[in-house]
Amino acid sequence: MSEPRGFEPEVQQFILEQIDSVPHLEALLLLWRSRPKIWSVADMAASLYVPAELAANILRDLGVKGLIEVLDNSPRTYHYLPTEDQDRLLAQVETAYRRELIQLTRMIHTKAPSAVREFARAFKFTKEREKE
Amino acid sequence: MTFGAAVYILGALTTLICGVLLLRGFLASRKRLLLWSSCCFFGLAISNLLVFVDLILLPQIDLYFWRLLTAAVAMLLLVWGLIWEGEA
Amino acid sequence: MRVNAFLLGVIATSSLVAGLYFMKFWRRTNDYLFLAFGIAFLVESFNRIAFLWQPHPNEGSPWNYLVRLFAFLIILAAILRKNYWARE
Repeated sequence: MSEPRGFEPEVQQFILEQIDSVPHLEALLLLWRSRPKIWSVADMAASLYVPAELAANILRDLGVKGLIEVLDNSPRTYHYLPTEDQDRLLAQVETAYRRELIQLTRMIHTKAPSAVREFARAFKFTKEREKE
Repeated sequence: MTFGAAVYILGALTTLICGVLLLRGFLASRKRLLLWSSCCFFGLAISNLLVFVDLILLPQIDLYFWRLLTAAVAMLLLVWGLIWEGEA
Repeated sequence: MRVNAFLLGVIATSSLVAGLYFMKFWRRTNDYLFLAFGIAFLVESFNRIAFLWQPHPNEGSPWNYLVRLFAFLIILAAILRKNYWARE
């Protein structure tokens, strides 16, 4: 992988660990930019130009990772969950997305598929020791 | 014979552990690959257990076909999952 | 008898395919867990193929036990290492 020029290590780590695909990133940024707007699956599908099933999976994945909040309505709705740290991080991610889109997408595409990573993660049952 | 029995008990335990961990992983992440893999390992656990039953507990019955069938079905489930879910 | 031989073939081939998939995942992720699973399934595949040369495959042999044991231990070692020896 070539040296990233435009984004901080935090952004790179966040993308590597939490972002499964480019649509996932775009959905998260959409939710963040429009906060505290509440989105439905149909809204997201229309904004991302993807089928509803994919939008539903993306929103569910983001919810599972705790990046957004899932409201228990029917149909289910989602909105961005603000915390100081995450707000700061997403501001950096947004900047990186605007400036270094090609590098970001390349980084995402060279990751192993998320199902494979989840397979490996399933076998880790002890907690990570806090890195200082 | 007892060494063989111990190996298959260990095998049943190992595959059972894998099945449980993968099932937990599926419930947490909802990735279907983990569900198929989990079923595979549970099937392999049954197969290993059947070897133990066949050779030690019930030597008068031949369970060879059932040992093979459970292992074959288990492996086919895994291959199914890998083919459909192992890509982005 | 032919059914058993067929099932053995199914198991050998699907274990081979699964082993190769896990090797691919190891290359993509550099996670030794996948290397362990890959080796275990490939070894299991060769083990099943070796049954062709055994007069009584349903009774097992010390060689089979050792090979199986190796496969199980490799998986267990990888799981334990991932949880208790994590360095990265």
